[in-house]
Amino acid sequence: MSAKNHRSISLILAGASCTLLGAAAPTKAVAEEASAWDFNTSLLYYGEDGDRVKDFSVSAIAKRMFVDDRYLTLGLTVDGLTGATPSGAIRQDLPQTFTRPSGNAAYTVPAGVLPLDDTFKDTRVAINASWQQPVGESGLINLGASASKEYDYMHLGVNARYARDFNRRNTTVSAGIALSMDSLDPVGGAPTPLTPMLDVGDTSNRFGEQDKDVFDVIFGVTQVLSRNLVVQANYSYSMSDGYLTDPYKVLSLVDATTGDTLLRTPTPGFGGPSHQFLFESRPDERTKHSVYGQAKYFMNGKVLDASYRYMTDDWEIDSHTVDLRYRIPFGEDRYIEPHLRFYTQTEAEFYRLSLPDTGPLPAFASADYRLGNFDAITVGLKYGWQTRNDDEWSIRVEAYRQTGTVPSSQIIGNQASRDNYPDLNAIIVQVGYRF
Amino acid sequence: MNRTMLAAVAMLCLGSGCASMGVEPWERDVLAKAEMQLTTDELEAATDDHIYFSKEASSGGRGFGGGGCGCN
Repeated sequence: MSAKNHRSISLILAGASCTLLGAAAPTKAVAEEASAWDFNTSLLYYGEDGDRVKDFSVSAIAKRMFVDDRYLTLGLTVDGLTGATPSGAIRQDLPQTFTRPSGNAAYTVPAGVLPLDDTFKDTRVAINASWQQPVGESGLINLGASASKEYDYMHLGVNARYARDFNRRNTTVSAGIALSMDSLDPVGGAPTPLTPMLDVGDTSNRFGEQDKDVFDVIFGVTQVLSRNLVVQANYSYSMSDGYLTDPYKVLSLVDATTGDTLLRTPTPGFGGPSHQFLFESRPDERTKHSVYGQAKYFMNGKVLDASYRYMTDDWEIDSHTVDLRYRIPFGEDRYIEPHLRFYTQTEAEFYRLSLPDTGPLPAFASADYRLGNFDAITVGLKYGWQTRNDDEWSIRVEAYRQTGTVPSSQIIGNQASRDNYPDLNAIIVQVGYRF
Repeated sequence: MNRTMLAAVAMLCLGSGCASMGVEPWERDVLAKAEMQLTTDELEAATDDHIYFSKEASSGGRGFGGGGCGCN
């Protein structure tokens, strides 16, 4: 990368940060000392099997140190997403026709096939900026802002974190807060929860833009235990408030004995759903608590990075995550790093495979597989090397697999003979370059 | 309750227990290495957080819970 390119990227990122932070432009200093910037860039491919989601992503983080240990960090990510995602409807022995989220057309899924909404296509641009500086002898403050935009979603956020060292800098205690103000403008309008998917052209149960606010608090302690071992423990609290429903997900309305989705006749000349589907409904509040612990241990050049997270929320989802990385150096300036991650979660209290047609409808129901009961495993390998001028390249390849089960109490009649949970296999390939 | 427990642990550390733990400034050669930082690659960490936030019902822990995407 030439110095000229270096400088132009610096200026673009500095401009973006000033817009975000509303600060006076540090452009002059940047232009004069362009070489003070450090860049971390990456190209990512994320691909799910079948016709499901694919993501190509370009990211960059630029960091500049100013005098007195003050840092400006700027980040940019552009995602290009395509593919299909499970709609929430169950498999049937007959073909199923659905109205597209836009309400403008219909599509048909063959008999026995898991219904996927194939209109998923989006570009996401996310930027963030943060400023970090010492406060007094042993304090550190970090202020940040973030924004992202995709076709039907916009996010704006601010965050602040304060850390203070004790015991000859062997103990660090930190506290942070983050606020996020998001708005959704679903394609075709957000449907009224638990109302039916209607014929093509009928948008009478759709309404406009929705909002969601998220408030996060985090407390952490980092402790150096020995020359080779450092550990961290965090507690975090997160409260989401507003429209938490997925406007594109539905549930099948089924016969309470056979478990088959009820048939429906579209209005002649318009086209529309062949079966009865209801739009999902989630509570408008969610409170999550997480406890996170991490240890880094140096063993004759090799580094073990182990972490564990427990999360629980008031939707009755509990999850456990274990993440292990083991960095093994070899040669002068190379390393490999195997990675293993295990994840398990219980289903949300309102997770339903389908809704039987007897009795009143529940207030909340979702067939979103991400709110179901599943386990996931990630297996990966990273290879990194340093160039002669201290730039660093890395490539990692990982496989991610989710396998879920539907509680047996939710399986009705013929559903027992079908594959009810949409298992997921994905490949992650990321190439990184730091300079 | 979790918060109370954490505060108690922190106070215990600050008060006595951890005061004797740790290293002297001249013993920080290993801890100062890039590969010994708690987050060695911010971009990779952010990528993972975003992927798992989109595909699982949990997020955060290491840092803020995330958001900024219509994927969950």
